[in-house]
Amino acid sequence: MKIEMKNIRKSFGSNDVLKDVSFSLEGGEICALLGENGAGKSTLMNILGGVIPMDKGAILVDGEEVDFPTPVQSMEAGIAFIHQELNLINDLPIYENMFLGREIRKKRGSLDLKQMYDKTKEIFEQMNIDLDPGKMVGDLDASYKQIVEICRAMMTNASIIIMDEPTTSLTDTEIERVFAMMKTLKEHNVGIIFISHKLNEVMEICDKYVVLRDGNLVSEGYVTDVTKRDLASFMVGFDVRTESLRRTKDMAEVGKEILRVEGLSDNKHFKDISFTIHEGEIVGVTGLLGDGRSELFLSIFGANPFEQGKIYLEGKEVINKSTYDSINKGIAYLPRNRKENAIIKDMDIFENASIVTWPIFAKRGVINTSKHKQLFEKQRASLRIKMGDMTDSITSLSGGNQQKVVLSKWLSANPKVLILDNPTQGVDVGAKEEIYDTILKLADEGIAVIVLSSEAQEIIRVCDRALVMYHGVIQGEVEGDLMNEQTIMSLATGGELGDEKGVYQK
Amino acid sequence: MKPELEPNIQSESPNTSNNKFISWFKQKWSNDPLFSILIALIIMVILQTLTLGFDYPSFGEWFQAWTNNWINILRNNAAIGIVALGMTFVIMTGGIDLSVGSTLVITGAFAMYLLDTGAQGILGGIGITGVPAIILTIILVMGFGYLLGSIIGVSITKGMVPPFIATLGAMMIFRSVTQHFTQGYNTSVPVEFLQISSFKIGNLMIMPIIYWAIIAMILYYVSKKTIFGRQIIAVGSNEKAAKLSGVNVNRVKLRVYGLMGLLVSIAAIIQVSRIGSMDFSNAGRGMEMDAIAAAVVGGTNMLGGRGFILGTVYGMLIIAVMNNLLNLFGVPPFLREAFKGVIVIVAVLLQRKEKSA
Repeated sequence: MKIEMKNIRKSFGSNDVLKDVSFSLEGGEICALLGENGAGKSTLMNILGGVIPMDKGAILVDGEEVDFPTPVQSMEAGIAFIHQELNLINDLPIYENMFLGREIRKKRGSLDLKQMYDKTKEIFEQMNIDLDPGKMVGDLDASYKQIVEICRAMMTNASIIIMDEPTTSLTDTEIERVFAMMKTLKEHNVGIIFISHKLNEVMEICDKYVVLRDGNLVSEGYVTDVTKRDLASFMVGFDVRTESLRRTKDMAEVGKEILRVEGLSDNKHFKDISFTIHEGEIVGVTGLLGDGRSELFLSIFGANPFEQGKIYLEGKEVINKSTYDSINKGIAYLPRNRKENAIIKDMDIFENASIVTWPIFAKRGVINTSKHKQLFEKQRASLRIKMGDMTDSITSLSGGNQQKVVLSKWLSANPKVLILDNPTQGVDVGAKEEIYDTILKLADEGIAVIVLSSEAQEIIRVCDRALVMYHGVIQGEVEGDLMNEQTIMSLATGGELGDEKGVYQK
Repeated sequence: MKPELEPNIQSESPNTSNNKFISWFKQKWSNDPLFSILIALIIMVILQTLTLGFDYPSFGEWFQAWTNNWINILRNNAAIGIVALGMTFVIMTGGIDLSVGSTLVITGAFAMYLLDTGAQGILGGIGITGVPAIILTIILVMGFGYLLGSIIGVSITKGMVPPFIATLGAMMIFRSVTQHFTQGYNTSVPVEFLQISSFKIGNLMIMPIIYWAIIAMILYYVSKKTIFGRQIIAVGSNEKAAKLSGVNVNRVKLRVYGLMGLLVSIAAIIQVSRIGSMDFSNAGRGMEMDAIAAAVVGGTNMLGGRGFILGTVYGMLIIAVMNNLLNLFGVPPFLREAFKGVIVIVAVLLQRKEKSA
């Protein structure tokens, strides 16, 4: 089977996500779909999967034009979309999961478990998979879950499979298992679209590649003709680093040590992490999904436990038993996913802005409202929070202003270390710049600021230096001219710092 | 984004006091969550007053009858009203406590063993009698209640047992243990102890009502002004965000269940001192449901977060007045629960409507 997507255009409002993108794939090919976050990869695949409609363009299957108004038509045409969040039910055995929604029934309506089991077994044998179909899905590791999902797609006679970052949560051996499966699929003449950020894997498993940037197809061809470095630069383009906010600062100006971490591991999300951060520094921490940076800093903040390692604050070892402990010692943590982790919707703006400091100013457990009002007024003015009444619901504010309220609760606590996890997530451009300005101002006041972000551009624009994480370890540290998107991307995809030197250093 | 203001009705036909009232009413109805509950309560009270009738020789006698009826209602519901206040906090953290009825009998039994004037009396046995014995009993029983609540709290926080399961288990354990150890046991509580509930102010037996009122006022203050009170909302509304804002989530929950146990023990003291004894197999049965109903009618969100101490007082009164009304109407006892059920569902329906409006 051959699919072609011709001159696809798609915009959301005034935002052109895909600008005339063409793409094709034949059975038996594995094609890598590459691009930074927001490049348009998911939109393109969602169009192919029938999840969202396109504005202009055509999809052809074996030369005939088709229409996918819903995912059902796409599936019927033989396209299977395997999402990052797997669609399996942990409490059912594999064979029942394989037939979810298409159960085989006996005449009287009860499930024909035997036949479902046998058919699953048949598929597994065909694919050379040694797995008991009666096992509970919950007992499988992540790679086998992926494999079960792929087999399920095979059972519906899929001839094109879209895999959205299938390896992010897998260990190396599990990745090998999935790759073996992909090779088998290839022999069965199935075409695979492989979305990944990991260039090592792309080089290993893929035949072709397509790179999207800002909704344009910037490069395509055979993997054997390019290097990882080429791919990384296709993804980011060369026209970056505009209006950098980075301060010109030489190392001699850096203040005293504030936070030092030695050999920190939780043996799950991060391993053997060591770094030091000084007064007035802005340090970026970046990486791709599954790099463990949020987990690392949640542990430093005392919200999660860790197994080994030591944390020093101003030279003294600290043991943070709880988040409250950390706050008292001067660590602040603005979490990612504001709605889930920071906003308390049953409380008003004022309470959301003061919850952290309640215990600091309280007398005998009674909240000192006037003190908090005073503090909040100060923050409100300096952060330029646009809002109605202080007692309005927090949800009445725009994303940017909500984020500022969350930021204000941490600033009222006078932290020494301010950890910001994706501080500009879901924030409009104006508020984004204001948050950057605030970060710079805070660093000038002597606070050690740590910015966690998946956007390399953000890190480059505001940070003095950056730690790049890959699979739970710090893959490299970059600063100065080395702090560019190519180097960061290369490190974040598992490359070594040495590879880059001399090539991109200007 | 600014919240849109209610359309101004005054502009249509200006300056009539009637329309001013309507717009004020509408505004209150949609913005003040307790307003609709208060209106419901007022309607119930008017209905009850009408049902009681005005068939009395003089206004003085009518007023006497009306007041007496009210004092009866309030006194009969004081104990459960106190339990409902604690239940409000529990539900606000996103939990539930099914064990209150059983905690009531186990703390009640403990009080009676301590006080018994017969051979089995613990305090009498070690020579403590009279007022000191009563004071000591009150302290020990409240401590016991707090301890039981805290044990439930520990199993929920440290043991990570879901509140429903932990308190369901406690409900079975507490009553079964109480019934086993009180078989064939007849107590006589000292007469002085009965004064706790039956002491008369003027000519009125209103002590339980006063306890209820005081506790409600204290908890109202706690819920509005203290860190503990506000952290309850944070924990129930978004536990993760609360934790990441430095709230010790486990400590808040532990205290809430401890407080629940303490309040139930106060209710037990009131019950025992009102009647002088307690029926260990039936006392407090269904108490958890009444307490939950009062909280829910009063606007507490079963999913946690939102809740009002004042609302729970209103909710308790609505249920109490309705029971009284059904009594006055002569509705058969078995049917009364059905009306309670209807009230609970209607109350929640009303609150849903507000939300979507």
